[in-house]
Amino acid sequence: MKYSGYILLAIVWLALPFVLERHAIDLLVFCGFYAVAGAGVGFLLGQGGIVNLGQAAFYGLGAYSSAYCTVQLGLPAPVGILTGVVVSLCLAFLIGRPILRLSGYFLALATLALGIICSNLFYEAEFITGGTLGIPGVPKLSVLGFALDTPTKFYFLIWPVAVLCVLSMRSLMSSRIGLAMQAMRDAPEAAMVLAIDISRLKLWMFLISSVLGSVAGSLFAHYVGFVNVDSFGVERSIFFLLVPVIGGAASPAGVLVGALFVGLVPEALSVLGDIHRVLFGLALVATVVFFPDGLIGLLKRLADTCIPARRQALKMEQSR
Amino acid sequence: MPISLTRRTVLGAMLAPAIIRPTLGHAAEPIRLGAILSATGPGAGVGLPQRNGVLLAVKAINEKGGIAGRPIELLVEDDGSNPDAAVTKANNLIFSQKVKAIIGPTLTASTLSVGGVADPEKIAVMPFTGLGLEMEKQRRSVFHMLPTQDLNARALLEFVTKNMKTRKVAVLHDSAYGNIVMTKLKEVNATYNVDFVAAEKWEVGATDVTTQAAKIKATAPDVVLVIGNSATPFRNLRQIRMNAPLMSALGTASYEYVRAMGDAADNIIFAEFLVAEDPLPYQKDFVETFHKEYDTFPKTMEASAWDAVHAVAAGIAKAGPDATPAAISDAIRGPYAGAMAKFDFSAPDLTGLSLSSYVYSKLEKGKFTRVPFTAGQ
Amino acid sequence: MSMMLLAQACATGITNGLIYALVGLGMAVIFKGSRLINAMHGELAVVGAATAVYCVEIAMWPTWLAVTMGMLIAMVLSTLVDIGLVRRLFNRNAREESFLLLTVGLGFTFSAAVLYVFGREEHLLPAFGDEIYEVAGAIIREQTIWIVGIAAFILIGLKLFYKYTDFGLAMMAASIDPDGAATTGINVRLMRTATFALGGLMAAVAGLLVTPMIGVSYQMGPILTLKGFAAAVLGGLTNPLGALVGGITIGLLESLSIVYISSGLKDAVALSVLIVIMILVPDGILGRSGRKGG
Repeated sequence: MKYSGYILLAIVWLALPFVLERHAIDLLVFCGFYAVAGAGVGFLLGQGGIVNLGQAAFYGLGAYSSAYCTVQLGLPAPVGILTGVVVSLCLAFLIGRPILRLSGYFLALATLALGIICSNLFYEAEFITGGTLGIPGVPKLSVLGFALDTPTKFYFLIWPVAVLCVLSMRSLMSSRIGLAMQAMRDAPEAAMVLAIDISRLKLWMFLISSVLGSVAGSLFAHYVGFVNVDSFGVERSIFFLLVPVIGGAASPAGVLVGALFVGLVPEALSVLGDIHRVLFGLALVATVVFFPDGLIGLLKRLADTCIPARRQALKMEQSR
Repeated sequence: MPISLTRRTVLGAMLAPAIIRPTLGHAAEPIRLGAILSATGPGAGVGLPQRNGVLLAVKAINEKGGIAGRPIELLVEDDGSNPDAAVTKANNLIFSQKVKAIIGPTLTASTLSVGGVADPEKIAVMPFTGLGLEMEKQRRSVFHMLPTQDLNARALLEFVTKNMKTRKVAVLHDSAYGNIVMTKLKEVNATYNVDFVAAEKWEVGATDVTTQAAKIKATAPDVVLVIGNSATPFRNLRQIRMNAPLMSALGTASYEYVRAMGDAADNIIFAEFLVAEDPLPYQKDFVETFHKEYDTFPKTMEASAWDAVHAVAAGIAKAGPDATPAAISDAIRGPYAGAMAKFDFSAPDLTGLSLSSYVYSKLEKGKFTRVPFTAGQ
Repeated sequence: MSMMLLAQACATGITNGLIYALVGLGMAVIFKGSRLINAMHGELAVVGAATAVYCVEIAMWPTWLAVTMGMLIAMVLSTLVDIGLVRRLFNRNAREESFLLLTVGLGFTFSAAVLYVFGREEHLLPAFGDEIYEVAGAIIREQTIWIVGIAAFILIGLKLFYKYTDFGLAMMAASIDPDGAATTGINVRLMRTATFALGGLMAAVAGLLVTPMIGVSYQMGPILTLKGFAAAVLGGLTNPLGALVGGITIGLLESLSIVYISSGLKDAVALSVLIVIMILVPDGILGRSGRKGG
């Protein structure tokens, strides 16, 4: 997309909070959390072909760390966020080393099991997590003395963070490491011949994904002000996975589009009554079946057919 | 046995509009109320009966002319048993739809998250949960329609010690709500001094708890407290011939659970609030109205929902239909005599129920009968 | 720790294990025939059982007819999923994850649909018989014996089917080497559809057999899928007998950890052991035929 397109998008983004209703902005903030955590999952999926069904565990760790550090220990917010990152890295390292030896369905099952085990432990470790009742009263974040206590204010924090995460993933993808990861995914035997340490790469990717999940969780805790184990179950992990699946795992912009879909569509469908969950399931099945490159792929194809400049470029490419 | 409620659920779900508009003929401007309930997800088990009660209450009030001549317009939202979605719905109802009060939510987590949004705005919230955390006492606009777990725990032990006159108690509870009650049981035991010979846990959604039941049977208790929203533990206990009486709380005291218990629906005591087969005088009207509308009997959840709407209506009538949400909240914060029980929303626990509010029922061969026992004496 | 408690724990562990095994069996069959993991298998079991419950309780049909209907609906649903959706994915050479995500999405849809259509309550079906047996102080219900018998029957039937019938051999060939199979005239697509139909039938059978014991409700699908998948994986994924062994292993693990460790940590323990087993024994406890996804 050309620069003019990006500038237009930025202007729209800036203007939105002033034209939308509060709960719509609230939804967009949640989309931001989905984008950050989903970027991690998308990274693993798109670059490594790894299905990670345990991202909610790291999301929860980040959220609980932030909540515990600020509420029980009275420490400042950044300490909580950092604690979350460190704890998540440790867990990802300890668990990642052994399970990343698996692949395909087995790895997916192992990540799912990880998610469930953590969920179980969140319930049990009442003295830290507050069990079923959770930890309320998580303080709002303040940036430069300015408290982020409304959806609009948080919107202006989370979206730059999300875009930053997504852009970092993109630059990682085009770096040497990223190319090595693609080699690993597309031609593992060749990659091995080139002395690319596959297991180390996979571990790095898993660590990065866990950090993204943790940061998203910490920010979530400071936004909602209340952390509870119900927010960190398998369904949440599935939603995080849906972000790159629906949006398009191969492209970072796909993560943003996917996050918007996953955050906004269930809410939009809920006006249709109790059947909304069924419809959401159908929408996602349709996306998997009919839009293999995700919505980004769809948008690209639409752009290719509708925008004359792109049509020309495509024709020239095809005739070459 | 035909499941008439299931048929109604299907029809009801297809026909029940998301917005209850007042019938034509009311020229007066409607009063807008919001409701956040769990109609889908794991909470639907209690959320749907609550919705039935709420819809019936609004209908009944509007049929009698509304509040001060103005009809109620109810916006019902489904949080899908998800506390994060509940926040979004609350933001919508409060800031965009400008409702005067919120009925619900269904689940504790949603109550805590919605309370964080509503209480600073002083909008009255009537959740179907008991006060859970100390800090909730500061949220003076978030009232509670169900007893605290502390009170539930006491209600159970009152019956065990004073009616059954026994002290050898085992507890089988789930890892969520049941866990909270278990903690409270241990706390209030200072007053009752029962001997908890076993305490076993099952995870929410478990398909079988026979092993836990076997551990309990091995300790030979005189009564087993079963706490959690599932019929499975009841079945499993009876299947391994654990024949001591069972006791449970209001969450499982419903006809759906009784059906799911099958043959195990016998010799079970509930500490609840409404036995429709033998209602207390102040409950008769509600039971009749409900029966006429839905062709079945209500239990505690439906009564609680009915009371929530009526308490809000009473508050609005008192403060005036044009009053601010804060004024309405203040007007609600006082005693209210409902069909479920006598509340006092000005109490420190924002519920005002007491041990004597409980109505104990006994399930014998699938039928509820009221037990003539009053706790707290 | 009394003998009676241990005996009951083992009996219960095996009974629950059989439930997981039945679900896992169906998943192994689908994997064997298509190299795909059916993440909505538990939901198919729920749909089959819920249909039967509906027929019995609302339509007032006799049990045998309701059960047949349940099996039919699950089979038809499964077949439609293959023809309408899975085939499309195959046609564009979709990656492994897409199939997983497709079935996850479908599972989500079916669960929500069951809630919407059947309601939130839990329902039971009549059991084969109501006898109770006592072995070493442990209570075992008659239904369990029936399940063991029917599972054995299914296993033998499957073994004979895959080894000795042309159709069964064709189904296996189509999944192990689709191109090779196609050259010998096997209609690979039809074989896969047949696999899904068979898988759907087995899911329904699993659901119908276990509903008299544990009831059916709209939330059960994902748990059954997870446990069934774990059972199948433990057993080596392509080996139906392995699913049986895997399922019983998980059931016993759960039961014994409740008795010896703590009832609260049962899932954490069972799943941790599962992960350890997956890492240490990559081909599963009984698997030989080489797992795909490796």
